[in-house]
This record gives sequence, structure tokens and C-alpha cells, in this order.
Amino acid sequence: MATVTNWIDHLSAEEVVGAIYPGAGSSETLLVILGVVFWLGFHVLQNMSESEELSKLARKRHGANDHKSNVTEW
Amino acid sequence: MTDQLSALTVIFTEFYYWITVVLMFLIHVGFCMYEVGASRYKHHQHTLMKNTMLIPLVTVTWFFFGWWIYWAFPTGPGIAPSIMNESVALITDESTFSAKWYQPNTEFMAVNLGDHISGVFWAAFLLFSWTAASIVSGAIIERITTFAFGILAIAIGSVFWTIDAAWGWHFDGWMLKILGYHDAYASGVIHAIAGGFALGVLMVLGPRIGKFSSSGEPRNIGPRNPWLVTIGLFLIYTGFWGFYAACNIPIFDLGPEYGMEGVTYWTATNIYVTPTTLSGITMNFLMSLSGGLLAGYVVAKGDPFWTYSSGLAGIICASAGNDLYHPIQAMLIGAIGVVIAYKLHYWVERTFKIDDAVGAVAVHGYAGVAGLIICGFVLNGYPSSGYSVGAMWDGSTYASINPLGQFLGAIVMFLVLGLIPGWIIAKILHAMGKLRIPREVEIAGLDYNLMEADRDSEKAVSSATR
Repeated sequence: MATVTNWIDHLSAEEVVGAIYPGAGSSETLLVILGVVFWLGFHVLQNMSESEELSKLARKRHGANDHKSNVTEW
Repeated sequence: MTDQLSALTVIFTEFYYWITVVLMFLIHVGFCMYEVGASRYKHHQHTLMKNTMLIPLVTVTWFFFGWWIYWAFPTGPGIAPSIMNESVALITDESTFSAKWYQPNTEFMAVNLGDHISGVFWAAFLLFSWTAASIVSGAIIERITTFAFGILAIAIGSVFWTIDAAWGWHFDGWMLKILGYHDAYASGVIHAIAGGFALGVLMVLGPRIGKFSSSGEPRNIGPRNPWLVTIGLFLIYTGFWGFYAACNIPIFDLGPEYGMEGVTYWTATNIYVTPTTLSGITMNFLMSLSGGLLAGYVVAKGDPFWTYSSGLAGIICASAGNDLYHPIQAMLIGAIGVVIAYKLHYWVERTFKIDDAVGAVAVHGYAGVAGLIICGFVLNGYPSSGYSVGAMWDGSTYASINPLGQFLGAIVMFLVLGLIPGWIIAKILHAMGKLRIPREVEIAGLDYNLMEADRDSEKAVSSATR
């Protein structure tokens, strides 16, 4: 996985390779796929959790000033 | 880098943009404080989280496709040829500034010893994206779902603003060539588009419960915490310094760039690679802020909320031409923009029952549009680019700045890329039942459950004996 194993060799090469992250040149597309799945997964999970929370709260039918009884002193 | 002078130039530029990114972070801190201060107590925490979560959502999508769009779309596509490859297609070839290098799976979108600039330049543009999304966020508080806002934030932050930047805020953009469009510090490309987008969403979303009486008269739902709003706006002003600096290229030799044989001319330039100075734009920034504050104080009769917002609107209105204006021109233009934005805000509110909770459409949208149009008159005849000067509609050369071009540019920004996409996406989310929170939740408060849990914790702790 290591792209650089010796800085002296790396920087004294006739053409210094710029990309120095692990897996350079072989892993980028896979990383993008993983990243997109992670991003879209957030939307799915966030939407499910928000929908559940909103419908639960809506069912309680609190009044406009009921929240004042929840004001804490700390 | 093997030459010390070129290494210093590159690393100075890298550090310059890095500083602007850190400064611009304050814009977002300010927007968060401003929004929380403007929202009611029972909605505070959700309001804060809604705005905060745009940071990761716009960032990752900016990485995946937003940055690519900026470099791919300057030609339209199909409207005016690129000066790099003379093609009207998307710029995805081997050209120096091709989108090809900015696909998320290329080696330039990572730590690369051969490229010190792409990452900080990417980040500077990304902070503009956050700003665009955050402008929309304030207008729609207390009744939109976080899910819907996330989708809208990605749309404005990583798609529509980046298309407008490619078209009108890029040295190769078709709007410069066809229209002579000029918008140095983003009156249109950030503010008008975000204001228009917010208005499109508001048209579908509707007002907060209680905003309008049964006879249609608007009621004031003023800021709950004016001190937080004050600090928020001061932080936005502060971050705006970074925004202005980030819109410049700090050091550039225009001689070879313009093909002037034997000429060397080092200067700062704007995004269009035409000369300006950081010094001059600093004066104009302060003078347009002052013009906005002075006019805002008068027109709003000393109301602090509007006076602070007017400082911002003053800068926004003068921003299109602040690379070239005289400071007094900047001040007067800032003042004019504020009067237009303030009057239009209340007229639209009364006439169309639009509930813009923080005046974002006015401060950013109307002031931005006014700034673009005024710029067309004041800078009429200036070249929109240093590469060539040509006629309007020609496309292969760059038209000069002119009133008609700026007016059409304002329509593109506010309406075509702002209001219409915002309205369409909001309509789709509404049809899915995902746009607005249930009425019962709006009345109870988005934070009701969090507050209730806090109360229970407090009771448990206060009754504890060990």
C-alpha cells in the first residue's frame, strides 16, 4: 500500500512522482465508490430517522407554549 | 520545485488561499449564529443542525462533482468556444485547465507534490458553495425538513452555483464572451443566484404558521436573540474579507499571459485575470459597507436587524465592480442597493405573502441583481477580459462590459439558475411529502423532544442524593 518507502530515493528520482498517498494510481476509483456509498447512505439513514421523529412528535399534538414546561435551569 | 523564486511564488499563493479559507469559515460561523438568533427558542437546536450539516454535504459533493462542473462547463456547453481548445463542448480534454484533472479519482484531487494550488483553490471555491447554501438556509427556518434542506443545499452549493461560476466567473466563461458579463466579487454568481433560489423554495414552502393574519397582513416575527444576530453578522462581515481576497489571484505576470512580447507585469488580478489591487478592493469593501450601513439606518429607521443586514447588502451590491470602482462610487452603489432591497422585501412580503425569515432574498438576491445592473452602467466599455476585446454576441472574442449584458446576466443568475431550479426541486420534494415538517411539529417546536429529554435529565439529577 505504501507509495513511498524511502524519501531520498523518491525525491532524487529523475522525475519525482507527485502523488504520495497510500494506494496512489490503483485505489482512487474504489475510494470514490466507497465515498459515494457513504454519502448516499447518510441521506437514507437521516431521512428514516427524521421521518420517525417528526411523526412521533406530530402524534402528541403539543400546544404552541407546551415547550415552556421543558425549559431547564441548567 | 527547484527554483527558489518560483517556489516562493507558488508557496505564497498556496498560503494566501489557505488564509482566505480560514477567514471564510467565519462566514459560516456567522450564518449559524445569525440563524439561531433569528429562530424561536423551541426551534434553536434543529435550526443550528440544519445549517451545520450543509458543511459535510456540500463538501463531499463538491469533491465528487461540484469542482468538476466548474472546469467542464465554461462553454455552456454549446454556447461559446473555449479559448483553450476552440471547442464548444464540455472541457474534458487535455487542456491545461480541463475538468479532466479534477475528476474525484485523479491524482490531483489528493496530496500531490507537483501541485500546491488545486487543493486550496478547491477549498476557497467550496467555502463560496457553503455560503450559497447558507444564504438559502436562513430564509426557510422553522418549517423545512433537514432532509429537504440537505438536497437543496447540494443543488445550490454543488450544482447550480458552480454552473453559474463556470459561465460567468471563469476566464473562459461564455457569459464574458457573449454578454461582456462582469461580476468580480460575486454580486450575481453567489448572492443573486442564492437569493433567487431561496425565493423559488419559499414560493413552494409557504410562510411560518402565524406569519400572516387572516386578512393577509404580515406580522413581525423578530429575532429572538438580537445579540447573537449581531455577533453573527459581524462574523459574516469578517469572513467577507477572506471572500474578497479569495476572489483574487494574488500574484500573476500578465505580460506573457496576454501574449505581450517582452512585457513583464506582475500584479494581483480578479478571477477573470484582469488587473486590480488587494489594496484598492479593501477600500471599496469598507466604503460599500459604510454606504450600506448609512442607508440602512435611515431607511429602516435605526432598526438594528436591518441596519446590520444593510451593511452586508451594501457590500453585495457594489461587489460586481469593486475591482474597478472609485471608493465613493462603491459607497453610493452600496447605499442604492440597500434602499432597493429593503423596499422590495416588504413589497414582495405584502403582495405575494412570501415569508423570508431573515431577509435573505432581499439582502442577497435583490441587492445582488441591483449590483449587476448598476455595474453595467458604471463600468460600461471596460473589457470583460484581457485576452481579447470583441463585439457582443460574437462568442469567439470577449465583449466589453455593458448594461444590457449585465441585465441579461442578472436574469441568468437570479431566475434561470436560481429561482427556477429552486422552485422545481422544492416542488418535487413537496410532492414526495418531504419538504415541510408536519403542522403539529411546527406548533410544538422542532426541539420539543430534545427539551423534554433535557428536563427529565435535570429532574433526575436534581433529585439525586449520590
